[in-house]
Amino acid sequence: MSALLRTMRDGHGFDATLALLALAYLLVFSAFPLVYNIIMSFQEVDMFSLASLVRPFVGLANYKSLFASPDFWPVIWNTVVFVGLCIIFQLAIGFGLALFFQQEFPGGSFLRGLFLAAWIMPALVAGAVWKWIFAGDFGVLNYILQSAGLIDSKVFWLSNPQISLYSVIIANIWLGIPFNMILLSVGLVGIPKDMYEAAALDGANAWQRFWHMTLPMMRSTIGAVVSLGIIFTLQQFDLFASLTQGGPANASNVAQYWSWQLSFQIYDIASGSAVSCLMLGFVIIVAVIYVRSTRHEHRA
Amino acid sequence: MKRYILLALAILFLAVYLFPLYWMYLTAFKPSTETFVYPPTFWPGDPQFNFVDVFISKKMSSYLWNSLVIAIGTTAIAAFFGTGCAYALARVRNIGMDIVLFLILMMQVLPSSLMATPIFVLFNQIGLIATPRLAVVLAQAAKVLPLFIVLTRTSFMQIPKELEEAARVDGATRLGAFLRIAVPLARNGILVTSVLIFLQSFGEYVYSRSMISEESLQTATVGLMNFMGPNTTDWNGIMTYSVIYVTPILLVFVLLQRKIVSGLTAGALK
Repeated sequence: MSALLRTMRDGHGFDATLALLALAYLLVFSAFPLVYNIIMSFQEVDMFSLASLVRPFVGLANYKSLFASPDFWPVIWNTVVFVGLCIIFQLAIGFGLALFFQQEFPGGSFLRGLFLAAWIMPALVAGAVWKWIFAGDFGVLNYILQSAGLIDSKVFWLSNPQISLYSVIIANIWLGIPFNMILLSVGLVGIPKDMYEAAALDGANAWQRFWHMTLPMMRSTIGAVVSLGIIFTLQQFDLFASLTQGGPANASNVAQYWSWQLSFQIYDIASGSAVSCLMLGFVIIVAVIYVRSTRHEHRA
Repeated sequence: MKRYILLALAILFLAVYLFPLYWMYLTAFKPSTETFVYPPTFWPGDPQFNFVDVFISKKMSSYLWNSLVIAIGTTAIAAFFGTGCAYALARVRNIGMDIVLFLILMMQVLPSSLMATPIFVLFNQIGLIATPRLAVVLAQAAKVLPLFIVLTRTSFMQIPKELEEAARVDGATRLGAFLRIAVPLARNGILVTSVLIFLQSFGEYVYSRSMISEESLQTATVGLMNFMGPNTTDWNGIMTYSVIYVTPILLVFVLLQRKIVSGLTAGALK
């Protein structure tokens, strides 16, 4: 016993103790709820059985009723559209800005850092500001688009079911650009400068240098940014809460918001946890791929 | 010359990008009659200072206090558990530590909105919902702890092992060397990460919304949502509320931005 204490205080056990303390916290407050969630998704959970420890198991019934729900596939499709469009535009705009700020000029890195101001503010506040910008009658976005001649009549960004999802996507792209730009800038710094000089001497123009050098050299960074993008985009909740609440009529609802609504607004906790399980499984698969690919890079 | 054209372009991009922030501040200063004119004005004709009114009538002191309590509690837990773990992960490379790091990275990606359901049911069963702010702190700390560990680990990796070994030769214990040599040297990284975690938790919404039902314990994000409600059109008030809420966050960010950006980039891609 005292030997154990000694190694914990002074030997190799010291590092293990420090690491396991944090891991224990995470196992209690993250991993255990995760497992508990899987169990709940096979149980009957409602307001009455909420507090009891023993709940009846119902097999796959929760999942079956979920797949049979008319909302299920539209919500999943919305989630795919949301994640796909957000990542494409965040990556493209972020990459463009990263390339721009790669050039040297006074105050460049300071100005680039200021983009993160949008990323640091609570997403819910960003949602409030965008809701006001999107407002149909007095919103500034409609005014700007109308004066530019891009639209004829006012667009009801948040209440038109054809458009509401895209409005949330626009706001989320705005939020995600700085993070993408900063990560891509880090990747760009890693490309040796003399390669560009050699290519320029050989007569490669800017486009050729980008296509044949920058892009291939950035492949692993782009892979990392896309995986992180999927993970972060699936965390987005506050914008949905503040902008559309998934509406009108689920037109802009995505899985992570729907799961929360089922549990906390409709009190159908069993369905909420079933949706949550499906999505958590997906997020974990993406994360495993991401972590494994970055590991691989380090060994190579 | 080209450098100044680039600078002008950079300022233009930034101005376009940060326009929503400008719009927030502008609306907060406009009188309500001027808010609802079309076409909108881009500079307040008759600037108003409604900050004290909104602060008092929307009970912002209570909301902001609760957000502060949650942010401080979360940061304290993350720093307490995270610093040692980050140190151990930076110092030791073996299969056990690789597994720990892998598990931590996995738990970093779990979205709060999906974890809210099981955490709520669980906390409800063990009675933690009776102290809702503590419940939010515990859940939010589990959310941000992995990020804290990943970011702080890179600062510990930059400290040469030899400094601690020298202290050990002089008779310091492992704990002594950790607390007196490693932690002070990694102080900057720990502080910047803590600020980042603090700011994130100061804007926490999902858990607060899910677990705090009593209004006097709700956070500034929930207060803002209540204010926005389905039918309200008081955009002056909402933007004034937003300005009061985010201005301190933005000030801290601008002061520390160089360090936050470098800390973030060092940790994120490793």
